[in-house]
Amino acid sequence: MTREPYIRRQREEHGRKAVAVLPIHYPKELLTALDLLAVELWGPPGSPRGDAAGRIQPYVCSVVRNALGFLATGGADAVDAALFPHTCDSIQQLATLVADFGGWSKPAIPYLHPRDPGRASARRFARAELRAVASRLEAIAGRSLDEDRLASAVALHREVDAARAALLDGRATLPLADVELYALLRRGEWLWPEDHLAELRLAAARLGTGKPPARVPVLVTGYVPEPAGMLAVLNGAGAWVAADDYAAVGRRVARPTGPPASDPWEAVLERQLASPPCPTRSVDQDARMRHLASLLERSGSRGVIVHVVKFCEPELFDVPAIRRTFEAREVPLLYLESELERQLSGQAETRIEAFAEMLAGSGGAA
Amino acid sequence: MILRRVQYELAGRAVAPVLAAIEDWQRRHRKRSARESPFAPPLESLQDLKALMTSHYLQGRYADGAVPVAWVTSGFPVEFLRTLGFHTVYPENHAAMCSVQRIVPGLSDAVEARGYSRDLCSYVRADLGSIETGRSPVGRLPRPDLLACCTNICQTVLYWYRDLARRFGVPLVLVDTPFVYGEPTAHATRYVVDQLEEGIAVAERVARRPLDREALSETARLSREGSQLWGECLATARNRPAPWTGVDGFFHLGAVVALRGTEACNAYYRTLLDELRDRVRKGIGGLRGEERHRLVWDNLPVWFATREITTLLGAHGFNFVCTTYTNAWAEASSGIDPSDPLGSAATTYAQILLNRDLPNKLRLLGRMAREFEADGAVLHSDRSCKPYSIGQVDLKDRLSAEVGVKAVLLEADHGDPRAWASEVAQNRLGAFMESFG
Ligand code: SF4
Ligand code: SF4
Repeated sequence: MTREPYIRRQREEHGRKAVAVLPIHYPKELLTALDLLAVELWGPPGSPRGDAAGRIQPYVCSVVRNALGFLATGGADAVDAALFPHTCDSIQQLATLVADFGGWSKPAIPYLHPRDPGRASARRFARAELRAVASRLEAIAGRSLDEDRLASAVALHREVDAARAALLDGRATLPLADVELYALLRRGEWLWPEDHLAELRLAAARLGTGKPPARVPVLVTGYVPEPAGMLAVLNGAGAWVAADDYAAVGRRVARPTGPPASDPWEAVLERQLASPPCPTRSVDQDARMRHLASLLERSGSRGVIVHVVKFCEPELFDVPAIRRTFEAREVPLLYLESELERQLSGQAETRIEAFAEMLAGSGGAA
Repeated sequence: MILRRVQYELAGRAVAPVLAAIEDWQRRHRKRSARESPFAPPLESLQDLKALMTSHYLQGRYADGAVPVAWVTSGFPVEFLRTLGFHTVYPENHAAMCSVQRIVPGLSDAVEARGYSRDLCSYVRADLGSIETGRSPVGRLPRPDLLACCTNICQTVLYWYRDLARRFGVPLVLVDTPFVYGEPTAHATRYVVDQLEEGIAVAERVARRPLDREALSETARLSREGSQLWGECLATARNRPAPWTGVDGFFHLGAVVALRGTEACNAYYRTLLDELRDRVRKGIGGLRGEERHRLVWDNLPVWFATREITTLLGAHGFNFVCTTYTNAWAEASSGIDPSDPLGSAATTYAQILLNRDLPNKLRLLGRMAREFEADGAVLHSDRSCKPYSIGQVDLKDRLSAEVGVKAVLLEADHGDPRAWASEVAQNRLGAFMESFG
């Protein structure tokens, strides 16, 4: 089932309202606890719908321009509100543009997560901001947030995280092509968490049943795996994604080390802090580099693909450090920039193929 | 250390004034170009500004090792650093100088070779390129002991300063100012105050002295006065003819950006204000000829092409009488209350133009157009500065429809001339002028 019929069915069968959510990080537990379906909006890919995207200059990323086109042409009319996490300058401006100057007439809720969230000041702010967002969401849901339900939602999302982590970590023996695995993981962007968990568990039952691919393992870091056809090209060229640090995927899989805090609000923040480092939240670039280096080692990846969206400052600012990190380890790196196209360009396809061939030639498949 | 301190003081108090006097003498005896300029002769105060900024940058050469040095973003609540005796360096100000001198492409090439994208803000590329190559219009910048970054202008500065912190291995003080949709929330204001306290603790360690809270109130008072004086200078352009061009303001802005919170800054703006008021009394305008149309400028200047743009417009009687950019510093610390320097700084600095929503910007543009009696607006769509530029397409339309001001978008970049198409810009501005009939 695709998004729109699913949103409708959730409404009909469970009375659930839906909230469109812009990238990247947000307290999904709050929505779940309030029985609100989160439907994420990563663009969507392709050419922008209608001509509203022209209201934003072409030197702004396609995620934001496409989202404006999509919202302004009624693409998200099936939902009841939109949540705008404070991810970057562009989303921040989109939130005011579309809500104040036209394109989105339903409630627009900003979510201002702090930078460098480990600081004492940032934690205090994050707690207060969570409550502020919760009260806006309560108004959408038409119910108040019950702390027991919030605790259950925290537990549910920890299960989802654990299942996603298991699939990503056990990837080598999971008999799924990259395209299939990513399609499954990305359905979490709009499925109700329990439905998503059921699918994840089905897949997890197959862990260990496959053989490690006779292909070259690579680490992919970047924003969002679009166009999805890129993964097929990668597999076709003899490589596979052994480790993932996409903002849309692996970077949102929290890996807590202990049980959740007894205060569910604190537990929501803990989960955020237990996620891999992301430049849109943390100022600690070294932490991200250490994380990437460890992903590379743990997965045995032979090369790195950096796949960013053009004009995306948060990602672009990390590229020099990523280059330095892997140059120092003499690990080959392919840099790809895309604009959320539906199809991979011929040039990108050739570069991926050449990269995979080069890796295979230099000691290749695992 | 003592020798270094003596050099630092001498550079500011003795050498810089001599250099400024020589420059002034040369200026007076320089043959003027016969080329016809649409502008009135430059303000005399310009020499004072040059002396002030020369002194600041010359002192800067000897600052490291003499006094604690902080590199600071333009919207950072600088008052506590000033009170702790930091010599402050504004990389944005420095990058603007690189932009004026058109050296950004070379500097940018140096960092692009290291993986920095050309799509990043040209201030960042200029600044990091200057560090990589050692090229600078001011000789050298002192090495920082502390980096102080406030996200009230953009998130870019966070990534930029994080990079600087790695390069220099010094602490980074972050003041994260949540974006203001509508009115600021109490918890956001509290967050900024908390961060100021955290930042003070770090700065005290670096400066090796405690913050004198009474002295902080005095710096806050100076800062507020500086912003207010700057605002009064800008307000003189409400007169017809405006005694200067708004674009002059881009250059005279240097002091309130780099020396906000000092008596030297305020003394300079008193001089400038006197001169502007004198021009108003005498009816001297910023343009030589008739001021036929009065314009608002939005966004950063196109530093390397300001003369080209203003000359083209000025020759036809179009004068920029106000700019949202220079106005930002009239508001930067004007709301600071010396009796509550941190609480008021948190409120004021978090509400600067770039940290607020688009309706606020539209209101500001409308108010400026009315108060300065402007009938046109040029909105610089700045490839390098997304937070300032997103929304301009709508702002342009709304300015026409709701405020009755003709507006045009001018595609450029504030620092990188490679994103500038002179002929296209001239055609666009030409058509814009024609639309006034
Ligand atoms: S792609 Fe980058 S710039 Fe665009 S919305 Fe996402 S984080 Fe922001
Ligand atoms: S020009 Fe814009 S993007 Fe660059 S530092 Fe200034 S505010 Fe930030």
